[in-house]
Amino acid sequence: MNFFILFFDELRGFYRSKVMIVLWIGLPILTIIMHFFQPDTQDFPFSIIISIVLSTIGGTLASAMLSTSLASEINEKVYDLFLIRPVKRITILICKFFAVYICLIIAIIISLSLGLLIDYISIGGITEIFLDTLFESLAITLASIAISCSIGLLFGITISSVPVAAILSVYIGNQLSALSIIPSLFLDPLNPFLFAAIIGLSVPLILIGISSILFQKKDF
Amino acid sequence: MEHYDDTFAENNFNNLKFQNVTKKYKTTLAVKNVSFELKKGDIFGYIGPNGAGKTTTIKIMVGLIKDYSGEYYINGKRFIENVDKITNILGYHPQDTGFQSWRTINHALYTFGRLSGIDKEILRKRIQLLLNFVGLYEFKDKKIKHLSSGMVQKLRLAQALLNLPKILILDEPLSGLDPTSRFQVKSLIKLLAQKEITILFSSHILSDVEDIANKIGILNQGHIMKIGTPRQLQEQFQVGKIIEIIYMEHSKMCSGLENIQGIEKIEENLPLTQLLYLQPNADLEMTSQDVLMTILKQKCIIQSFRFLKPSLENVYLKYIEGDFE
Repeated sequence: MNFFILFFDELRGFYRSKVMIVLWIGLPILTIIMHFFQPDTQDFPFSIIISIVLSTIGGTLASAMLSTSLASEINEKVYDLFLIRPVKRITILICKFFAVYICLIIAIIISLSLGLLIDYISIGGITEIFLDTLFESLAITLASIAISCSIGLLFGITISSVPVAAILSVYIGNQLSALSIIPSLFLDPLNPFLFAAIIGLSVPLILIGISSILFQKKDF
Repeated sequence: MEHYDDTFAENNFNNLKFQNVTKKYKTTLAVKNVSFELKKGDIFGYIGPNGAGKTTTIKIMVGLIKDYSGEYYINGKRFIENVDKITNILGYHPQDTGFQSWRTINHALYTFGRLSGIDKEILRKRIQLLLNFVGLYEFKDKKIKHLSSGMVQKLRLAQALLNLPKILILDEPLSGLDPTSRFQVKSLIKLLAQKEITILFSSHILSDVEDIANKIGILNQGHIMKIGTPRQLQEQFQVGKIIEIIYMEHSKMCSGLENIQGIEKIEENLPLTQLLYLQPNADLEMTSQDVLMTILKQKCIIQSFRFLKPSLENVYLKYIEGDFE
């Protein structure tokens, strides 16, 4: 029960604080701008380029959003009034994680759909191979954003300085999110889709687990 | 206000007990062996200088600090093992908690109420009632980032009362309030105590504590220096024995009183008024008899002759400065 209250509350927070609008409008606008300024991609589908760009931008945004919002809210003692109520500490973290993650996924879906539309218009159709590649890229994007989000969560609760938490989470989040793509580039037998799914689930789970233990022990 | 009053009629809290509670932050000892007991209807004024450990004690009481030694019971049950059940009877007004700035007053209270498990319809009515009481109703749709510090303080109080607590813990509830609001909040605290809500509140404003509290704890450097009713503290406090003599307008003021045995010094700061400070070991009865005899001999005409009780401020300063024997 409290999970849903907190989750929708977080979403409302992103909506009210304009973060959501920036994401949901900003990223699709970026897609359109990129279409007009794209370099020669030698018939490489535009949607896949968009997917790669979004995974980088989305990951950076995710880790920065989570780490800064957590660190600043802990500093401002925002959670005191939540934690004196029957709210589990892990619920706060998970709600925050999913709120940011889902916000970004929606922004990415909007942008990718726009990319697909542009491809459809410019190529004149969408092939099966193209769709397979697109889903693969999408899986990698989602996995890398999940990893970045969980890194943001970890640094947000362990580092009290907001800028330091942001810098570290963006830097380490970007490095670690590459885990979802690099091994499958070098190891042929690996199925990139499956590998991204496994890494995208296991790494965030471990990091959320560690964050939860640390948050549980934290004095407010 | 009347309805709000009625909602506190039921009360199933009996006592809260702190036994030798100690909290250490790395190298700093925040509170050491703090022990006290609160019973139903107590208004406990918790006073001490900055950094004395008041907020740490309070945070342990509401479960925000979990890592401490010693025992803490509510109704005979260990708090740490019954946090989820007990937090429902606690109301907490933090000293400096921030609210997420994008929220409106109404939305903040609604979220906290729902998290406390209050039914939506009941909650809406209660929010309206509380906002009316603390004087924020007309600002209910205003974003928190646009509120003054006094309004935020009132909002903190409103959220503390949302779940109709049996124990109300208020960390500096009167700071930042204008005189009217201070009066309102003090009246509310007294009203809640009449309904047998147990209240602990910390404050730096000793006159407020003196006005409201029926029990006072003085904390210094993490130690409880003294606990008692305001009267007990003043009576046990032997140092501040003062005789005040006010003379009639046409009368002369007595001279030579400083030579009487037991008188330490005399102050004549106000017109027609003498303050005689007695030595700590002075015999009150003998000294006052000698003073009266001198007044008679010198044919001085007095309007009043009385013993001044030490104020809470005197008591507090003596304990904090450490020269209380």
